[in-house]
Amino acid sequence: MKKLLATLAVSAVGTALALTGCSNSSTAADTSGPVTLTFWHGYTEADGKVLDQIVADFNKSQDKIKITTTTKPWAVIGDTLLTSLSAKNGPDIVALPAENLPVYASKGALQKLDDYYSSSAQNASLNPRAVEMEKIGGDYYGVPTGFVPLSVVYNKTLFQKAGIAAFPTTWDEWVADAKKLTVGADSGTPQQYGLALPDHATVGNGVWASLFYGNGGAIVDGNKSVLDSQANQQTLAYWAKAVHDGKISPTGLDGIASDKLFSSGKAAMEIGGPWMASVAKENNIDYGIAAIPAGPKGPAASAIGISAAVTSQADAAKKAAAEKFFDYFFSKDNATKWSLGSGWPALRTDVPSSAVSSNPVVASLTDIVGTARPLLPGVADSTDVLTAVDEATQKALSGGDPAALLKTASQSVQQALGK
Amino acid sequence: MTATTRERAPYRAPAPLGGRPLRRRGLAAKAFLFMLPALVILVAFVFWPMASALRLSFTNASGFGIEEWVGLSNYARIFTDQRILATLGNTALYTVLFTPTALVAALALALLLNNRLLIARGFFRTALFLPFVVSLAVAAFAWTYLLDPQVGLLTYWLRALGIQIGNVLQDPVLAMPTVVAVAIWKSFGFYMVIFIAGLQEIPESLYEAATIDGAGPWRRFTHVTLPQLSNTLAFVVIFAMIAALQAFDQIYVMTGGGPYRSTQSVVMELYQEGFKKLDLGMASALSYVLLAATLILSLIQFRFFGRREKDTL
Repeated sequence: MKKLLATLAVSAVGTALALTGCSNSSTAADTSGPVTLTFWHGYTEADGKVLDQIVADFNKSQDKIKITTTTKPWAVIGDTLLTSLSAKNGPDIVALPAENLPVYASKGALQKLDDYYSSSAQNASLNPRAVEMEKIGGDYYGVPTGFVPLSVVYNKTLFQKAGIAAFPTTWDEWVADAKKLTVGADSGTPQQYGLALPDHATVGNGVWASLFYGNGGAIVDGNKSVLDSQANQQTLAYWAKAVHDGKISPTGLDGIASDKLFSSGKAAMEIGGPWMASVAKENNIDYGIAAIPAGPKGPAASAIGISAAVTSQADAAKKAAAEKFFDYFFSKDNATKWSLGSGWPALRTDVPSSAVSSNPVVASLTDIVGTARPLLPGVADSTDVLTAVDEATQKALSGGDPAALLKTASQSVQQALGK
Repeated sequence: MTATTRERAPYRAPAPLGGRPLRRRGLAAKAFLFMLPALVILVAFVFWPMASALRLSFTNASGFGIEEWVGLSNYARIFTDQRILATLGNTALYTVLFTPTALVAALALALLLNNRLLIARGFFRTALFLPFVVSLAVAAFAWTYLLDPQVGLLTYWLRALGIQIGNVLQDPVLAMPTVVAVAIWKSFGFYMVIFIAGLQEIPESLYEAATIDGAGPWRRFTHVTLPQLSNTLAFVVIFAMIAALQAFDQIYVMTGGGPYRSTQSVVMELYQEGFKKLDLGMASALSYVLLAATLILSLIQFRFFGRREKDTL
């Protein structure tokens, strides 16, 4: 019996640790004086300071609402949001990666913002594709705070060495240039690759979505998987051939490994997010940023999106106060300030690249934001959907049959959508 | 010393009727008071979460809002969903690869380092123990970089020697042995130190007697060292096995469960269910299945080692 108890205790302690989460406290709202709100966001760099400043300016601009911001890494927000809301010490406003919005909405943690979209004067000026990522089952659950298309960052020095004067604009040109930029392909292991093309866990999970869009395909259409469409089969076969036969990219890369390859100067191009500009700078790479070259059906890019939502913890007064803040945040001046501060394109369509020309990266991204589409809007089980896509793309780039792989993956996607 | 004990003995013996239980009760209360801080912590951070997790495993809770009682359906899903069953298989494979290899490596090095003829034993002991001090996540990051096929130092050196290992972390066959190898590198030093402590407890006279009886090094090892190490061995086996069943950190960092979920362990799945899909019910059910597996395996080992101990006595 003693042994049984000892064994139970040892195993129990160990296993219990696996489930131990952690919770964070935040300041509770006052009931007297101005309406006070807490706002959690994961902008931990210079962008966070700009956001905090916009919030501070908002607090100063009136005396009825006071917002306190708390900065936490995105993963921590994800891990602690529900438990802290249950304990009533969560945030009233929370910023989240947009693909996480549906799962929180489905658990009842977020409030509908349909009234905001029907009444706000700012709504008409917002980028409609960015707003699309806030829609879940016909209702809006958030407002966009970030929406940036994936783009190609390239190493200008390596382009010059290869004698390429202009950045490619179509897939065929892109692959041809990538081949020129690949050094030592004959040896089997090139010393330099034309492109770092991740085949799983890609940047913002959007590399393959971007390529599928470029050929007129998609991953889901509403509640239906369209992953095994003819267009997607062609896309996957096209890129698998380029990687397999042309050796333009190593296989088995994820987003982080692609970043490493580019920043070490071993890949001439990478599909990435705006942060690659500063990564390139840190590594003394003379870089350029361009749109993902157009596929057979035109230019397209999957977007990385961040949303801000009002949690179920906020009462009616707080919700109204949050909406007032959103209006302030989306004003043309603040939208421009936020765009420059975050390094992402403005969320309004009436802020042209000339208005953000002081930051050339933002200006380039603003020019191409029109081609961006949200990733899996409204899909609650995005984890399983993306895992299925990853498996198909990784196996295809290692020599698997694209059609068969997409068919299997599509069944998994459909299963995930049906949950 | 002995005399004092003998003299005192009558004073401690039979107390007046009714007095003993009272005294005992007082002592028990005092003991309980001393244990109270530890008990409070245990109840709050271990027993209560465990009980909550057991309840949650029968619900569809997300940690927020309304939760519904779903009976055994989470458990039923674990044993019918091929994807989840595969994670149980992966964890079993990890355990089978990790436990014996770590054990043999640790024991072999412990025997070597326990040999007085070896010079700089202290240095080697410290060097081999050092990886254990490093956080597993940090070690995993370091190894990911070392093994990177393009920019990794290890792959670079191996290439210079004409050895191509490819992208081991993205190879569905090699990924699991690689993450296991990193875990072994990280933890065998700890098991080794425990073995060394166990070895030093074995009386030298037993070896002398065995030698006189004509036992060679192998017989001394199998008939003296191993039986004498029985308790230590049981401890290390159970500890290593529990660590293997809970494999998470280095898998999360090095492969994220891939390629094609080939390194997706139960705890990785548990984390994804609980914190990515916000299905705490399913995550709790998985944790209880893991607990049951750990318990059963530990009991089997206790029995096995218990019997061995009796046999040798």
